[in-house]
Amino acid sequence: MIKAYSLTKEYGGEKVLNLSELVIPKGELFGLIGNNGAGKTTFFSLLLDLIEATSGTVEINNIMVHQSEAWKPYISAFIDESYLIGYLTVEEYFYFLGSLRGKTEVEIDSWIKSYEPFFNEEILNQKKYLRDFSKGNQKKVGIVGALIGQPEVIVLDEPFANLDPTTQIRLKSLIKEEAINNGTTFLISSHDLTHVTEVCDRIVLLDKGTVLKDIKKTSSTLKELEQYFSN
Amino acid sequence: MEYTFQKSLGLSKKKFFRAPQWELKLAVRILIGFLVLYFLVAFLFLGIGLFFILRKEFPEQDPVSIINQWVIFYFGADILARYFLQNPPVTDVKALLIMPIPKKRIIRGVMLRSLSSIFNWFSVLLLLPFCIVVSIENGATYFIWSWFFAMLLITGTNNFLVFLINKNKNVAIGTLFFLAGGYLLEYYMNVPVISSIGIGFEELYNQPLWILVILLFFLAVLQLTATFLKKELFLDKGLSKKKEKIVGSKLYFLDRLGPLGGLLKNDIRLIIRNIRARQVVLVTVFFLFYGLIFFTQEIYLERPGILIFAGIFITGGFTMTFGQYIPAWDSEYYSMLMSQNLNYKRYLKSKLYLLMFSVVISMVLSLPYLYFGEKVMVLIIGCGIFNFGLGALISLFSGAYNATPLKLNVKAKAFENTKGFNLTQFIFAIPKLVLPVLVFYIPYFFLGFNAGILGLITSGLGGFIFRNQILGWIEKIYQLKKYETLAAFNK
Repeated sequence: MIKAYSLTKEYGGEKVLNLSELVIPKGELFGLIGNNGAGKTTFFSLLLDLIEATSGTVEINNIMVHQSEAWKPYISAFIDESYLIGYLTVEEYFYFLGSLRGKTEVEIDSWIKSYEPFFNEEILNQKKYLRDFSKGNQKKVGIVGALIGQPEVIVLDEPFANLDPTTQIRLKSLIKEEAINNGTTFLISSHDLTHVTEVCDRIVLLDKGTVLKDIKKTSSTLKELEQYFSN
Repeated sequence: MEYTFQKSLGLSKKKFFRAPQWELKLAVRILIGFLVLYFLVAFLFLGIGLFFILRKEFPEQDPVSIINQWVIFYFGADILARYFLQNPPVTDVKALLIMPIPKKRIIRGVMLRSLSSIFNWFSVLLLLPFCIVVSIENGATYFIWSWFFAMLLITGTNNFLVFLINKNKNVAIGTLFFLAGGYLLEYYMNVPVISSIGIGFEELYNQPLWILVILLFFLAVLQLTATFLKKELFLDKGLSKKKEKIVGSKLYFLDRLGPLGGLLKNDIRLIIRNIRARQVVLVTVFFLFYGLIFFTQEIYLERPGILIFAGIFITGGFTMTFGQYIPAWDSEYYSMLMSQNLNYKRYLKSKLYLLMFSVVISMVLSLPYLYFGEKVMVLIIGCGIFNFGLGALISLFSGAYNATPLKLNVKAKAFENTKGFNLTQFIFAIPKLVLPVLVFYIPYFFLGFNAGILGLITSGLGGFIFRNQILGWIEKIYQLKKYETLAAFNK
């Protein structure tokens, strides 16, 4: 699904990302962890063609992201609040994303019903603009917005941060369900080791731009990671 | 630690010098500084010249009395200009609230800082030289200087009134209606509204003791503002965001346009729901009246080369003002647009349709210009077709080079409209304005008026017919600039 070959990114001569090879197969729940500055967001930005790679390539469905726009139907992302349109209401935002993926407003209306428990009655029919929502509620909107149109790959940067505990738990089951029902590939970065090991089946640990660990999740993974980070 | 006016000023200074790209901002500030200087000097000369002009034109009246008759319009306009452009500096104080600084001092800092507003300087610079001249020429120093201070006090009152009315547009509308209504009543129905106010000001001039009333009023507004600010100085009051009403939620007619409809809906909502965009559209409305300057004067009517400017501004006001900030209007969420299922072609096409649609609307709204004759109307339609087919594309093209982000819901301040200003946009104004004039003028010079209009129409139609090819070419430039634009927008 996603392949990165000898992918590097430099800023002023300093390498912030250096991946010799990273392949993420379809349907994988891929977790990316690492301290600040490890290169998680840089990797996502390269994947979404938001920054230019210094060398190497990223492919989505065998399409090089910097050479054509044909990869855009396959992927969607929620990186931060700048992925929301502040002057729209929640419904209008969903309709807009729907229109980009060929969904009518009626289709969105019926689709959104299954996410009502996740929203916890704080999101829909609010009669206010997205810019007036709290950070946590904005995040909920952004995450569900990224699911619209069932793209094959969904990228979520720090999805658990800023969410209340109930929503964190609901988000975990939501991601698992999407993966089971639609075969969606998830790329999730997080600082929360417990959440990310619980959700993902593969964990990649980045340090200063390089892959330090690439492990299939087992019952001992959380312990292993905690040990690494406490040193 | 004492929170003083100096410290408050120091914070403003740091905010400026530590902002990203402050060198560039400084350069723009210097440029704007020259502009302000120009205005200040112009006002200075106006202040000096005013006395002599008035004495020459109305020798039987005292110049001060003439000013008294009309000064209410000056103060009214002052309030309106402040309402639209002056931002009370209250947003920077959040961090100070939890520090050991008495609220009184914070409020005093905010109020003192507001006095440095350019609007106050205009009054001083206009009136000071005028009063000096009056006191030399007329000699009645005592009267003129107390009048001068009364005027300054009223200016100061206006300055603080803005705090009280800032969030209430009814006051601004009321002021406008009062002035317009007063004028109509006075000069069409003989009800002395404006002249009564004029007599009031005249009385103030003749009887300097009245200044005490003005002073009392000033102090009352001062006190009112201070108490108002004290009440508002909480996170859930004046420092909170006002809850906005949802407008423009039903735009179903755009659904018929299919996938482009969603993008166009966004743009229409962007315009009606964001302060900055509304300001720009307001300018467009002024451009619609631009023709009145030219079409009412005989000299211009024989010079169609100049009239083309009017035609281009009337029909292309929106294409130029809104168009120059494409794609900066979407700068707050540009990363999302770039990673969603939206290719550049579709994005640019929706923007092009919006601009073309605006030209059609402007052309319909310009129909009343038929009053100035067929020739004027033909000229406007010619310019309209040019803007429709080619002007919109040129604006879109220039946008590829504009990577200055825009804050959507923040007012542009007077003389501080630096966010969207850059040299490239300035340079792009040349093809937008000069090209249509050339396209008209060359055939006009050799073959006459109709040939000139035909030149405009053909180039407009040419642009329209080849729009997909030209758009494809513009798209390539946008692609090329993508990373640069994203980096600038995400700063």
